[in-house]
Amino acid sequence: MTTMNIAYPEIIVIATAFIVLVADLFMTERSRAALAPIAALGLLVGIAVTATLTPVTGELLGGRFAMDPVAWWFKIVFMLASLVAVIMSMDTLDGRARVRPRGMGFRGEYYWIMLSSVVGMMLLISARDLVTLFVSLEIATLPLMVLAAWRRDDAKSGEAGLKYVILGALASAFIVYGFSILYGLARSADLNEIARAVATEKSPAFLLAVALVLAGTGFKLTMVPFHMWAADVYQGAPTPVTAYLSVASKAAGLAFAFQILFRLFGDMLPQWGALIALFAAITMTLGNVVAIVQHNIKRFMAFSAISQAGYFLLGFLGDASEGVPAMIFYLLVYVVSNLAVFACIVWFANETGKEQIEDYRGLSLTNPLTALCMMIGLFSLAGIPPLSGFVGKFFLFSIASKAGCHWLVAVAAVNSTISLYYYLRVVRQMYIEPADKEAQPPSPSTSISITVAILTIVVSILGIVPTIYQHIHAATITWLASLQ
Amino acid sequence: MAVIPVEHGLMLATVLFSIGLLGLLVRRNILYMLMSVEIMLNAAGLAFIVAGARWSQPDGQIMFMIILTMAAAEVAVALALVLRFYRQFQTLDTDAANTMRG
Repeated sequence: MTTMNIAYPEIIVIATAFIVLVADLFMTERSRAALAPIAALGLLVGIAVTATLTPVTGELLGGRFAMDPVAWWFKIVFMLASLVAVIMSMDTLDGRARVRPRGMGFRGEYYWIMLSSVVGMMLLISARDLVTLFVSLEIATLPLMVLAAWRRDDAKSGEAGLKYVILGALASAFIVYGFSILYGLARSADLNEIARAVATEKSPAFLLAVALVLAGTGFKLTMVPFHMWAADVYQGAPTPVTAYLSVASKAAGLAFAFQILFRLFGDMLPQWGALIALFAAITMTLGNVVAIVQHNIKRFMAFSAISQAGYFLLGFLGDASEGVPAMIFYLLVYVVSNLAVFACIVWFANETGKEQIEDYRGLSLTNPLTALCMMIGLFSLAGIPPLSGFVGKFFLFSIASKAGCHWLVAVAAVNSTISLYYYLRVVRQMYIEPADKEAQPPSPSTSISITVAILTIVVSILGIVPTIYQHIHAATITWLASLQ
Repeated sequence: MAVIPVEHGLMLATVLFSIGLLGLLVRRNILYMLMSVEIMLNAAGLAFIVAGARWSQPDGQIMFMIILTMAAAEVAVALALVLRFYRQFQTLDTDAANTMRG
């Protein structure tokens, strides 16, 4: 079916991006505060249009752009994540922060670049040939590199951006070289045709291509040993950008891994179980162990995000009809929980300019509600029942168990306990340590308070309401049928 | 007209890719590191052209043009950051980029 309406979400976000950019030209510095609401409105309309899209399957441009139920879920997640990121950035960029970070300006360009990266991610999951896949991957990641270096006068921000660009370009080179070998072997640039052509391929060239592409995918997903960039980039980037990076780049990495592992190498995935299990175990263990000793909260969240990537990998083991819905559900949970925590971090950095874990001491006395929300978000990331993080992890662990990797379930369970320890370090600072007497208590911000409240409610109920998981599961069945 | 065998083109691409990777790992000057990444990207582009010529399809050349464009975009971002890096650290040595530890 070739109907234009399946591309409406992308068109709306692109249009919003350019409206923001052009409007910025004609605005005075004071009225530029309207740019964030415009961007947020565009994303809201995009979400609404995506939500009401019928049918959710179809293709455009000779099958190079396709919409399917799994892509639908990813697009919703991408737009939700960026919507929250836009709202979170408002205080910092509009100068409502008590401690203004130097060099955070250029609001029009900031939202434009953020929206561009969303479009790239949305195209990424809809791409059906190598060219579209590669271009959309670049559209999704290049803006993130620019955003990471957004603070002009800050050496750390520049360093973060530079590291991200060089390592990102390296990952792109790996991916595109792998693609060139695949194209040479398969005689086609269409992903489904390549999958059919290489289904029984065993040549060394093919193995090289697989290794290169998987290394690139591992980089995007922050899989150990390709995680090196994450900690520095997360720490150096401006805090709202770190929030966006931690959820959006992870979601895009997962989308890319879906395209590679399910669409391109779907027939070979069952044979790679042991390798994926090994990477999952290393990734979650290293991320967790290193997170214990961190003092900077952004760096701490970076290692927490790395260990979460290890949990995601569990979903690639075993039966895809169980693994795919579990991964998408956990992605949703992870995005919401992580954004809830990061909204508190952004607000705290705005109010105090501090980002050490020790600086959070006594937060429960000065701002009890924010501390409570942050604690719920952290507990959800640790996987404490009845929060959604527990349900998401339960699905992923049960997949590893059904696939016969009982040792991996044990490793994952031990890792969950370790993660609880370091998440509790933050909670301990907020609830047990006495507040700093001299410091001025941080005052609440309207936009962030509302965001945190909504996100916390979603974190709490997402695991209890069964309809969402059922919907994702039903979507997956039709998607898997279309892969064959 | 003599036709260049596919193997030669692919071998050249592999050699270029390896040179680029080695350069990236060995060099400590950011500009040289960027050049090494460019060599790697161009090696991939060359492999695409060779494969496209082998199958007599335009896809390989299209992909090459797109790789060039993307490499240019990446370099544009990277050079802007290199300039900033130089202003802040007065050097292009990557060992200076260690303000964050942990």
